[in-house]
Amino acid sequence: MTGRRWYTPWLFLAPALLIAATFSIGPFANTAVLAFTNAKALGGGHFTGLANFIRMGQDDTFWLAMGNTALYVVVCVPLLVTLPLLLALLVQRQVPGIGFFRAVFYSPVVASMVVVGLVWTWLLQSDGLVNWVLQSLQVISGPLPFLTDAQLLLFSAMFVTVWKGLGYYMVVYLAALANVPAELHEAAALDGAGEVRRFWSITVPTIRSTMLLVGILSVIASAKVFAEIYVMSNGSGGPGGQSQSLVFRIRDVGLGLAGETGYASAMSLVLFICTVGFSIIFFRMSRER
Amino acid sequence: MNRIRVRPGRRTRLGAAVTAIALALGGCGLGSGENPGAASGPAELSGELKGTITFQTLQLKPTFTDYINGVIARFEEAHPGTEINWVDIPFQGAQEKLTTDATAGTLPDVVNLNPNFAQPLEQKKLFLDLAKVAGDVKDDYVPGAWDAFKVPGADGAYGFPWYLTSEVTMYNADLFAKAGLDRDKPPTTVQELEQYAVKLAAAGRGQFYGLHPALENSFVTTLAKLGVPLLNEQGTKWTFNTPEAVRYVEQLKALYDAKAVPADSLTQDHSKEIEAYQAGKIALFPSGPNFLTIVKENAPKVAAVTKVGPQITGPGGTPNMSVMGLLVPAASKYQKLAVEFAKFITNAENQLAFAKIVTILPSTTASLKDPYFTDTSDGSVESQARKISAEQIAKARNLVPLQFDDRVKKVVIGKVQLAMQGKLSAKDALDQAVDESNQILANNG
Repeated sequence: MTGRRWYTPWLFLAPALLIAATFSIGPFANTAVLAFTNAKALGGGHFTGLANFIRMGQDDTFWLAMGNTALYVVVCVPLLVTLPLLLALLVQRQVPGIGFFRAVFYSPVVASMVVVGLVWTWLLQSDGLVNWVLQSLQVISGPLPFLTDAQLLLFSAMFVTVWKGLGYYMVVYLAALANVPAELHEAAALDGAGEVRRFWSITVPTIRSTMLLVGILSVIASAKVFAEIYVMSNGSGGPGGQSQSLVFRIRDVGLGLAGETGYASAMSLVLFICTVGFSIIFFRMSRER
Repeated sequence: MNRIRVRPGRRTRLGAAVTAIALALGGCGLGSGENPGAASGPAELSGELKGTITFQTLQLKPTFTDYINGVIARFEEAHPGTEINWVDIPFQGAQEKLTTDATAGTLPDVVNLNPNFAQPLEQKKLFLDLAKVAGDVKDDYVPGAWDAFKVPGADGAYGFPWYLTSEVTMYNADLFAKAGLDRDKPPTTVQELEQYAVKLAAAGRGQFYGLHPALENSFVTTLAKLGVPLLNEQGTKWTFNTPEAVRYVEQLKALYDAKAVPADSLTQDHSKEIEAYQAGKIALFPSGPNFLTIVKENAPKVAAVTKVGPQITGPGGTPNMSVMGLLVPAASKYQKLAVEFAKFITNAENQLAFAKIVTILPSTTASLKDPYFTDTSDGSVESQARKISAEQIAKARNLVPLQFDDRVKKVVIGKVQLAMQGKLSAKDALDQAVDESNQILANNG
């Protein structure tokens, strides 16, 4: 093919690039700059070097939020990498009515996180269905404080994140599983390999890149967690704000008329670096296997 | 044609991943800039009494569209050549819009704010000092309301008080009866409120409770009512970690331990309190009388057994009031017109008309003398609430300090929640709350 002009691909890319530059890259660059200033929501701001980062080091609430976010990633990511795969293996089978179950498992993905958060808040409150069932079965004597105990609230939010993410990653895995060559399974079966052996020796190596993708996506999603905690704690971040995530903290510090834009930007930058770090660790771990 | 398969290198893939994360997290970026609207109050108002100005209100559409449009039409008729462009914004997200407008220097010519929203903008000297440019009408307003728009430690007042609310104590008389309490005798003091809460919760056995703490709405006002000095005289340091405040936090913990308030209410706010009252789950609902309309609409059965009493007060007897005001940015090109319109919409006649369509109170002393605020002959709970709140407004003050912004509130309430759970002692909770609030105050300054 000849006569291709150098700018043709750029023309195709231009709309997407323009949107990305305006709404993602530009604000991100702005955030990186503001991180080194004492900017407030109502204007101003002078270069303050590393002052925001030094303040962060002494800010107990920042470390609390950081710890909660790290815990969120450590708990949610393994679950979001493995459980949807098991679910995908389950619904991959061609049995009558399986389409219904695929749709059911996918349905939470379609719902807004706020709606999902509210539904689970009702289910988990002191006089909610979950406590009622547990009390009826005499598993517990009094209602469990799912929404008012800092740790329980955090784990409840993690549960909702995983529950809502299952369907999405299940579909990703279903696409990957469809590409696993059936001949390999047949050959291995003829050689006497059982289901578990075939799963580890054929399925997992074939879909490893998809697992990596799911891993990185779930790292990003978990590090950015906000809505679940916000809705389930009525915007409080748990009693004393003890269950707040880093994004929750960034929002608290940066928004409002008294918002400290510079400090919030510095925390955003730290979140970005940590998320990249987590992703690289995940990337490396997957390669070493 | 040969197909060329391009296999991205490791660095390229890593770079792409980093870019993707940057894009995903891009939303965390926040804008900022200088403050183009900042200006000190002029000696004389600029502009003429003609032109087009923008008037921004907080969540009045669609309920009060006819009223506002009517006032605007009358003003435009009385002042030919003027045009008022009315915009209404929801309460939710109002702070973000105000921040953006203030930063960009595009605040509306007349803007409706409460004192807490107004305070950070007033500190930046974004508004006209009305004590200077409209001091002639100062005495028309209830003193406590005019003072609500003053900046602590500085001269001047920056807002025309508009409508007011002064909390009354709404209560479910049926639940009172179930708990063996007098249907016509609501609690009137903080101490009585707590005693009632315990009795009601004991009778409710988990089906209903006495009250919902809604700490973010009630805690600091209760401290003020108990005579706790919230700030030092200069308004530069928080001082509410007094023995009296410690006792109050201990009482809250005792209520929580005794299950006299719903377990989940610890982290819930005023909106959940309304829901609980409408659902018949709490018997007491101290709130603005304007909520009577909402209860009537959403829960007619509860509204039918709702009675009202005066606001819960402390030993000093000073009730709290909430104020809405109208402010004029110093950067407005039509200052004269904007001030004239703000005076007009907050004058006694227009405020009285407003108070007759919703259970709010006018901030003008003359309108409060209207028989409408003392007449309870229709026997409705609304007219009783109106009478009670109008009586208490004369001695009411805005007890919530302007410095009690969202971030201070979050810190203070958070520590109180931990104290109620027993994770901090009441003393430690208040000491920590004061320390952290002072840090926020220092950073704001």
